[in-house]
Amino acid sequence: MLEAVPTTEAYLMLSGTLFAIGLVGVIIRRNMITVLMAIELMMNAVNINLVAFSHRFASLEGQIFTIFIITVAAGEAAVGLAIIIQLYRLKSTINVDEARELNG
Amino acid sequence: MNYILSITLWLPVAAAVILLFFPKTAASAIKGFGLLASLATFVASLGILNGFHEGVAGLQLTESLAWIPQWGIRYALGVDGISLWLILLTTLLTPVVFLSSWNTIHKHPKEYVIAFLIMEAAMIGVFVASDLLLFYVFFELTLLPMYLVIGVWGGANRIYAAIKFFLFTIAGSLLMLLGIIYLAFAHFHDTGVLTFTITELYGTTLAPHAQVLLFFAFALAFAIKVPLFPLHTWLPDAHVEAPTGGSIILAGVMLKMGTYGFLRFVLPFFPDATAKYAGLLIALAVIGIVYGALVAWVQPDMKKLVAYSSVSHLGFCVLGIFALNQTSIEGSILQMVNHGLSTGALFLCVGVIYERRHTRLLADYGGLAKTMPVFATFFIIAMLSSVGLPGLNGFIGEFLILAGSFQTWPRATIVAATGVILAAIYLLWLIQRVFFGPITKEENKNVREIAWNEVVALVPLVVLMVWIGVRPNVFLRKMTPSVQQLLQIVHKTDAGKAMIAGVGRRVSGVGDQNRPHEAMLRPPTPDPRLPLSGGVR
Amino acid sequence: MNWNDMIYILPEVILTIGASAMLLVPVTGGRGAKLSAKWMMIILLAITAGALIYCSHAVENIDQSRQLQAMFALDGFSIFFKLLFIGAIAMLVMLSEDFLAEGKYSPWEYYSLLGFALCGMMFMASGVHLITIYIGLELLSLSSYILAGFYKSELKSTEAAMKYFILGAVSSAILLYGISLIYGVCGSLNLLDIAAAMSTIVTNDALMFGIMLLGAGLCFKIAAVPFHVWTPDVYEGAPTPIAAFLSTGSKAAAFAIFARIFYTGLHDFHLEWNYVLATISALSMIIGNLAAITQDNVKRMLGYSSIAHAGYVLLGVISLNALGLRGILMYSVVYVFANLGIWATVLMLRRHQYAGERVDDFEGLSRRSPLWAFAMVIFLLSLGGIPPTAGFIGKYFLFAAAVQAGFGWLAVIAVLMSAVSMFYYLRLVVAMYLREGVEAEFAITTPLRIVAGICLVVTLALGIVPSSLIDQAVLSSSHVAAHAALTPHAGR
Repeated sequence: MLEAVPTTEAYLMLSGTLFAIGLVGVIIRRNMITVLMAIELMMNAVNINLVAFSHRFASLEGQIFTIFIITVAAGEAAVGLAIIIQLYRLKSTINVDEARELNG
Repeated sequence: MNYILSITLWLPVAAAVILLFFPKTAASAIKGFGLLASLATFVASLGILNGFHEGVAGLQLTESLAWIPQWGIRYALGVDGISLWLILLTTLLTPVVFLSSWNTIHKHPKEYVIAFLIMEAAMIGVFVASDLLLFYVFFELTLLPMYLVIGVWGGANRIYAAIKFFLFTIAGSLLMLLGIIYLAFAHFHDTGVLTFTITELYGTTLAPHAQVLLFFAFALAFAIKVPLFPLHTWLPDAHVEAPTGGSIILAGVMLKMGTYGFLRFVLPFFPDATAKYAGLLIALAVIGIVYGALVAWVQPDMKKLVAYSSVSHLGFCVLGIFALNQTSIEGSILQMVNHGLSTGALFLCVGVIYERRHTRLLADYGGLAKTMPVFATFFIIAMLSSVGLPGLNGFIGEFLILAGSFQTWPRATIVAATGVILAAIYLLWLIQRVFFGPITKEENKNVREIAWNEVVALVPLVVLMVWIGVRPNVFLRKMTPSVQQLLQIVHKTDAGKAMIAGVGRRVSGVGDQNRPHEAMLRPPTPDPRLPLSGGVR
Repeated sequence: MNWNDMIYILPEVILTIGASAMLLVPVTGGRGAKLSAKWMMIILLAITAGALIYCSHAVENIDQSRQLQAMFALDGFSIFFKLLFIGAIAMLVMLSEDFLAEGKYSPWEYYSLLGFALCGMMFMASGVHLITIYIGLELLSLSSYILAGFYKSELKSTEAAMKYFILGAVSSAILLYGISLIYGVCGSLNLLDIAAAMSTIVTNDALMFGIMLLGAGLCFKIAAVPFHVWTPDVYEGAPTPIAAFLSTGSKAAAFAIFARIFYTGLHDFHLEWNYVLATISALSMIIGNLAAITQDNVKRMLGYSSIAHAGYVLLGVISLNALGLRGILMYSVVYVFANLGIWATVLMLRRHQYAGERVDDFEGLSRRSPLWAFAMVIFLLSLGGIPPTAGFIGKYFLFAAAVQAGFGWLAVIAVLMSAVSMFYYLRLVVAMYLREGVEAEFAITTPLRIVAGICLVVTLALGIVPSSLIDQAVLSSSHVAAHAALTPHAGR
């Protein structure tokens, strides 16, 4: 079954797809929670890349970075959710388009 | 080492700093101190005149200190025949401004005096700096005080005029900054020495296309300042809105920073491009002369009329510069001084009657010669000087310019000469409508005669108009060697090349202020192409 | 790694412990509440700065490129920026007093977040490894998101935080994707190893794509066009001291990593990225300055102006010569001081949460307070690059670098846009000097005076006698310049 191990290119395609889905999600979805999830998807695409390359180079650097990214992503999600909750308290909506207080 | 240039330069700044500690309300003390400081500066500038050696072409009374050694930028000062009279003009006009505004500035007198003192220092700095970047710093430094003078003490539409003035000038000068950097790098590429000292940068070899680009970068900055047609549109606005003092300095000195820049930088740095594009500049100058005169003719507003006459007169200066011969350039420098005196006096006079009647429209006046005879006399003398009446200074300057440029650009000169005739028409027309004829308006019957401070301000200007008119040689003599040297560089004669080479070898400005290079000591060689050279003296 | 290596990150360790302790103070109950959070923060910053200076002497003789497993460099470049950051944060602490005095928000949380942000900035300045740089960047960003939304009860502030968070997180993800691709091609995350790998390979699509994504992420952090849309909104919505922080310290840190990554890591592929960056720089200058003209809100105007300034700093990256590198260092200093001075003046006008933000609010400042109006003029001139202010020296460096690198056209755009920028800077001068205005209220408190005073002195001093800063910039950048193998050039 060893020959069935996917190549680096396959991982790259997977991660590229995930990244693209995430990016599109950020752009088209209006719900803040969904946007947050889409961002997480992009981060995970990066993780797949790093682990795949790490495997290919047989170096741990990429995997170490992955662990850092997972940690940071958790922190980021916490901050993001806190902001979303605050916005919901003030405005009773978490739709990105409804945030029109600033003229931008 | 003689520090007279630094003293003249920093005296107004020191006075401005002291003024900061004056209480706001002590208006007379503030004005008095400002006047005193500007007079002291004038006396110091007489020291420059005194220390100036006639017959020496290069920079004199030089001072040089490292300022930003990493880039070879020096605090380098020097004066030569081209800048000498402009420095004196600056120091003369500043006390005139303070005198003339003695009774007219009630709003924030402290800030007013400080602004003019800082402006004076910056203008002196422009004329004495012999380091390109130092020059640039002073060039920019003149902007803000003038901007505030127009914007705070100006007329109804002052904010628009002030911003327009500021932006026009800064756009041009910032491009010049790039030119300066490029020029210094080109010199560095040639010699391995990074320097901004003007004399060392003379003779920097530039690729033809680079020379053309740099020529336009510099010329644009100065053309806006002069202002050359079609870049003149900021000038009438600025003049109309500026207070009298601001107009006097603006027309009297600031415009000359442009023409001075042409002489000091554009011509010697880019001789090839100058030769190539002199025609363009002359065409613009001639258009400016005629256009300015025609527009001045139809102005109902006195101040606007004088402002457009400035466009016309400065056109003569540019014509003289780009005619590129001894006579025309000397005439041009003299005309810069003349214009400073006569237009300064004209603006002052317009200010005097505006102060009394609060209108500048020609139609509101008439017959003032009967109610204000002394004032009318001054006004008419200033006007005649501006027109170019023989015996007064304007005639000498314009005649030299026209005589010189006729050698090289006869057709343009003929067109330009119509400007003289037009000037006579619109200025005499102005005099006719304001001073003569019956008094049609009731208000003009009881106009107060000119006050003592205004007389004191006008007298030195009038004296100088007559003096230059009668004895121009006193003034021209001091310019001749410097102009000759400039032309040698521009025409790339052997003497000019030797001069450049000589200067290139010189250790920059240490103790050599009174040991001019041999090339500069050579007796003036009359240029064979110029039959009139020296003839009109 | 052994304990002796800790000396490299001693200042950061101290700062982290201190900031964490400050976070805990309110929890400890009555005893801590009596202490002044502000002074604790100032003391913490002073200790950090002292430790930094001590450590920089202690590690002088060690090969600085390979410290801490090649993750972290305590070299001249990082020390220069770290001192700048500490100074900027110290001044921000002074600026924040008023805003915290309203009493609605815990000063301890606020200052500890500022401390963490500073820690992130310091890691960014020292990072020679993409992991370090990323961690520093995220620490800064996460703190900034919270700080931007610190007015919890204000919708504007929360909205600003939300916008900042979403765009920031997306840009981080993009940056990371770029990093992962670069890692995939070069096999390392260390900038020096990346540079070494790049010198042996030819252009390659994956690498180019990686560099582009990395550059895009970084451009978001410095707010360069087309990744700039968040800037004016966030500046407007965030509490004013935080807007000041985002436009000065946070931005300078982003400049630092921009310079480090491109000078140390990617210089071999210069020809591939410099035209893209040149376009971004030109667009930033043009769009930033033109958009600023129409703004009536000072915070938004400064937001657009900061976009334009990102464009100017990019000149230093694009030119990739020693002059450009020094220009980035110099300009960061100049920009931070001028901007902090402006924010201090804006805060003087602040009476309630969002007052003092309109251009009209400045009317009559010259009457009420001639000194600070004059200071404001100097700061604005400095941002516009007019002599004799420090801004002129900074811009001179960047313009000269661009001219020397053959980017004359970009330098021409830069100077023209500088002239345009004077137009909107002058609007404030017009308001202060040329309009009388109604009797405006000002709250010129001592901390604001101190900050504006320091900024005024620095801005003028660096404009008139810049030599010492230039020497410092030369010295501080020498290490990075040596790695980039920059060619000799005019100007020491």
